Amino acid sequence: MNQRALPRWVFIVVTAAAVLWMIPVVWMLSLSLQPNDLLSRTTANTFLGLIPVPFTLDNFRAILSIGDTPRWFMNSMIVAGTSTFLVLATSTLAGYAFARIRFTGRRIVYPLVLAGLMVPEQVVFIPLYVMFAGWDAHNSLPTLALPRVALPIGVFLMTQFFKDIPDSLEEAARLEGCGHARIFWSIMLPLATPMMMTLAIITFLYSWNDYLWPLVSAQRTDFFTITVGLAKIQGNFAQSQGLGQLMASGVLASLPVIILFLMFQKYILRGIALSTDK
Amino acid sequence: MRLTSFLQSDNFSGWAFILPYLIAFVPLLLWPFIQGFWMSLHEWNLLAVTFNPAAKEFIGLGNYIRLMGGDDIGWSLQPMWPFRLVVSVLVVALYVRSLRRRAVGYSHHIMAGLTLFTTVILLGLTGDWYDTRFWIVVRNTLVFVAWVVPVTTIIALLLAIALNREGRWAATLRSVFFFSQILSVTVVTLIWQLVYGVRNGFIANVLAPFGIDSPNWLTDDQLAMGAIVAATVWWSVGFALILFLAGLQQIPGERLEAATLDGAEGWRKIVQIIVPSIIRTVQFVMIMQIVLHFQVFGQSQLMTQGGPGDATNVWVRYIYQTAFRDSEVGYASAMATVLFAFMMIFSVIQFWVTKRQES
Repeated sequence: MNQRALPRWVFIVVTAAAVLWMIPVVWMLSLSLQPNDLLSRTTANTFLGLIPVPFTLDNFRAILSIGDTPRWFMNSMIVAGTSTFLVLATSTLAGYAFARIRFTGRRIVYPLVLAGLMVPEQVVFIPLYVMFAGWDAHNSLPTLALPRVALPIGVFLMTQFFKDIPDSLEEAARLEGCGHARIFWSIMLPLATPMMMTLAIITFLYSWNDYLWPLVSAQRTDFFTITVGLAKIQGNFAQSQGLGQLMASGVLASLPVIILFLMFQKYILRGIALSTDK
Repeated sequence: MRLTSFLQSDNFSGWAFILPYLIAFVPLLLWPFIQGFWMSLHEWNLLAVTFNPAAKEFIGLGNYIRLMGGDDIGWSLQPMWPFRLVVSVLVVALYVRSLRRRAVGYSHHIMAGLTLFTTVILLGLTGDWYDTRFWIVVRNTLVFVAWVVPVTTIIALLLAIALNREGRWAATLRSVFFFSQILSVTVVTLIWQLVYGVRNGFIANVLAPFGIDSPNWLTDDQLAMGAIVAATVWWSVGFALILFLAGLQQIPGERLEAATLDGAEGWRKIVQIIVPSIIRTVQFVMIMQIVLHFQVFGQSQLMTQGGPGDATNVWVRYIYQTAFRDSEVGYASAMATVLFAFMMIFSVIQFWVTKRQES
């Protein structure tokens, strides 16, 4: 790190930029805490509306008691939770095998899986839609969760991680006659916990924020995730339940990722750095 | 006995360990990818095929011809000539300069070649295109990428240089700039639609005391693209910032100190020492962003619905409309395949850049 002090004017410019950067989010939060009838007249009540005076929690109370928002929130929780769990399970197993087991065919299968890193959601979403439609499986939570499990980023990260573990740790166990299942479960998994945390957090983030797949797959309001639900209610901006409640929905939709960000920022940064390092 | 030794063999364990992943990978990524290409070779209407699976017709490259072909195709110097001239001269000058310095690699040859091919040949093509809308959305997507990527890169690079230091304050500011990155596209569009609002938007509120009426940011065809670009830059600076900070960490401290002792300060230090030291990271981050932003969808879909007219309609949104509004999934798949081919070019360049970085 650079130890020298910043020139004063740089310090001021960057700080001002940071304040400016925060305004949209602070404004959303502040509007969600002001009464609806005030907002229908003005959004700039106290200090350009950035300070929630008069203050109320009615918007949150309203969206939590009526309407679809709680359901969408739960759908997102289930979908993101399920895909995170499945990604962790499948990619630790596959990562261990690709990194540490010499089996016939791995030199063909692993590059094929890696090639999958270059295929974005936008290229496969039409055939995926047609396929699930053929099974009559749209409008269900598993359909929303499953396609993410196929993305190779987790396998890539876990393989890289397991490759770097020294052989000596494994050899002792091998001499005592432990098989791969045993080595994986009692030696490798405990070592991999921090890496699995990283993978879990970025998978949950991306899954929670996903928009395109739930948009095409879930047509019934019951099966919307919070991202798609929020997209829908902002579509009819004017006739929606009111600005305050709309903003409260936005805050609620961001709440889990904000909590993850505040608690695990280091893991998120590491996840981004590692997953771009291909 | 034979069975137990088979069950303990590396071959069995290996395949058993990767099987759960393959159960997801093969049907949900590999197969749809192949299927997408297969669909692009068909006249395939979603509704018709749903009722009668035989209602699709193999038409070979028909969809691709309909997408990219035209009548009376010719080439001329005239279309957009000032732009083409400036870009071509710039590329040739840069290329010759790096040739002189013997600092040319694969990526330079390819980038120079591609840019020249695009500006001189592709942009000079004229004709009655079968699908004029496709070229509009391609152009819009290119314009979007051409604004978002350099602006994001420059802001992120300057912030990274300023914030690459210890202490609470720098750490807090890093978090602030990174924070917007973790919001979902629907939250970002929700916030920015309101910021841009004509009657009660934040910008309108700021302008009101000065007696200035806020322009119609999202429905004015001169401003709409810029408005989407600004929101996207706000959203995605954090990502580039993180990668630049990681790159800056790898510059040896002595090099910076030596430069400082030599009297390099401020801009000169940035331009002559810091940027050349992380130029590979910059290339890498720019290519990643190009690939990423080619897939832009949510901002256009939610903030402007592609409008006014088609002024902010983008490639993926056109794919989405063709598949799910017009039900022409075969034709939409052809568009998706072309998009993929386009992004592959950049992925290959990225691969070369990384390879050179390692060697």
